[in-house]
Amino acid sequence: MDIKDVPCPFCGCLCDDVKIQIEDNRITGVENCCTLGNAKFLSKSRLQHPIMRKDGKWVEVSYEEAIDETARILSDAVRPLLYGWSGTVGEAQVVGVHLAEEIGALIDSTTSVCHNPSILAIQEVGHPGCTLGQVKNRADLVIYWGCNPIEAHPRHMSRYTTYADGYFIDNTATDRKVIVVDIRRSDGAKVADEFIQVKPGGDYLVLSALRAMVRGKSDVVPDSVAGVKKVQLQRVADLMMKAKFGAVFFGLGVTMSRGKYKNVRNAIELVSELNRKTKFTISAMRGHFNVYGFNEVLTWMAGYPFAVDFSRGIAFYNPGETSVIDLLEKKEPDACLVVASDPGAHFPKSTIEHIAAIPTVQIDPCVNATTALCQVQIPVAITGIESAGTAYRMDGVPIRMKKVLETDFPTDQEILERIVTRIREMRADG
Amino acid sequence: MNVIITFRNHENPFIPIEAEMITPDAFLEEKNEICVAVGNRSYPLSEVADFSIVGEASSVDDIEVLIRGDTSRVKRVGEYMSGGAITIEGDIGMHCGNFMSGGRIEILGSADGWLGREMKGGEIICHGDAGDYCASGYRGGRRGMRGGSVEVFGSVGDFACEHIAGGEVLIHGNTGDFACAEMKGGTVTILGDTSRVCANMSAGTCYVYGSAVEMIPTFEKKGTVNHDGVLFHHFRGDVANRGNGDLYTVHFTYLQ
Ligand code: SF4
Repeated sequence: MDIKDVPCPFCGCLCDDVKIQIEDNRITGVENCCTLGNAKFLSKSRLQHPIMRKDGKWVEVSYEEAIDETARILSDAVRPLLYGWSGTVGEAQVVGVHLAEEIGALIDSTTSVCHNPSILAIQEVGHPGCTLGQVKNRADLVIYWGCNPIEAHPRHMSRYTTYADGYFIDNTATDRKVIVVDIRRSDGAKVADEFIQVKPGGDYLVLSALRAMVRGKSDVVPDSVAGVKKVQLQRVADLMMKAKFGAVFFGLGVTMSRGKYKNVRNAIELVSELNRKTKFTISAMRGHFNVYGFNEVLTWMAGYPFAVDFSRGIAFYNPGETSVIDLLEKKEPDACLVVASDPGAHFPKSTIEHIAAIPTVQIDPCVNATTALCQVQIPVAITGIESAGTAYRMDGVPIRMKKVLETDFPTDQEILERIVTRIREMRADG
Repeated sequence: MNVIITFRNHENPFIPIEAEMITPDAFLEEKNEICVAVGNRSYPLSEVADFSIVGEASSVDDIEVLIRGDTSRVKRVGEYMSGGAITIEGDIGMHCGNFMSGGRIEILGSADGWLGREMKGGEIICHGDAGDYCASGYRGGRRGMRGGSVEVFGSVGDFACEHIAGGEVLIHGNTGDFACAEMKGGTVTILGDTSRVCANMSAGTCYVYGSAVEMIPTFEKKGTVNHDGVLFHHFRGDVANRGNGDLYTVHFTYLQ
């Protein structure tokens, strides 16, 4: 059996044109997908039962026992942390936010370690953004700043920018210019019409210089800024001003290098300045397929997109204080629930040590680096393959994830609902 | 009235205590029960600290609060205070003196992040170092500190005086990155070194007696001036932001 137009549950591009072949409830073929997505669709290893550490050894337990233990850990905690969320759908995230409010927890997502600075910048100066469809059909200048789509979002260029046919673009190969800004000559730089090599940590200074040039104040700019010659900056500023529709995409090279949200703010303000002369937009290259969705869900429920502290009964938001890395660095959480992400594989060592030192539960289909840090792991259906729901593409467009395989595994949402119910029962019993 | 609060050692010293009720104003109202939050639980102050009250007060300015013990994780002390005095013998946690409009806070140790965030008046003196966002604003807010004064004898972290719109700040040591970012008013004096100072400023005045490294490349050079017997380079900017702020620095370098 073939199923068409399946969205790929891997990266923020959320390509929804994937074709899946299925035989005997197994995926036997994948078309249109990139290698990253393929690997996810075809992966076979998974955890078969809930597991729990008893006397230092992993033992298989029932779902009921695992949920009971999770509920006990979370209701005993004084400063519980609920972290992850980017690899599951909005319907499960909603239950996660309810759980956080119910037990006075901290709730944060992988946003905290990727585009957290983008959100801080947008909260300061707004977001002149647009959907990827607009870029595909209109942009005659595309700028990739501090990101490498060829490695991280393999189909971004072919579906939405450089190689995509556009309704208002006659010849995409000749009519679309590409500028790449990075600290090293990445694969993306090789296809660029103009490559700007910035000294590490110098993005902010280059952005300031470009803003002054777009304002017509080139005279204040020194001959060279963070490794970039003034003549090249002037050439790039002219290219930008001549474009009919420019689209800037930026990645972790901007958000996670020195200056963080100030870099993003400066990029947004450059785009605002350019909008006095032509049409320009800016968008973040979001990583996980539904990292954007968690920001939506938490915003509509709590008013803030990530890093919310419910400990006082109201939503308090202050990245740097209520964000996952800062909390773990300060050893604040005394219990942790990890859902649909793998901090064990990505976080700094000191924070991982703290996750291992406190009771931690993970809800995830597979054994991963975080498993080693946990007391309990509860396996679930694979979102976007074995369970359906809503995800948000990197440009904020919601897409319905499909269920293409039957499974006996419960969904993230079901497990979270059972945890909430169990906590309420425990509280009612005193 | 003299209030002495001594925080006891805690079973889990890493859990922060939120203590926004510790202000001279709160002790003026006798009926007030002072409560604190420890993680997601709420307790009367007596649960975590010993405290004694001696004498009476007819106005908030008659009240002096002395805080002792391990207070490095005690947050929001002096929030919204309007008068009187608080002295902290050791270190203090985040958000000390948030929104204060009057009175005086003296910290004999160091302060964590957001010291004097969005303060409007009064005085903060910190004898040790201060963390990130000293005398700054809140996330997404447009105005940081608006009035009053902050003096830090040590060094401060990153984003000191971000969005500052009024008041005076004196930092005896160095600052981290992006001091006075988005500055809109007020006067900041840095006796040590600083980095990427006054980025995107629109108004206000900043003096740097040490070195401003990685100067923002979009400031207009205005020549040199003598201030306080010292020769300063005068810059105006941030031109990228149509700004009209004044930055005076003794030394500066660009990242070329
Ligand atoms: S680009 Fe991203 S969403 Fe598209 S197929 Fe590849 S991994 Fe999946």
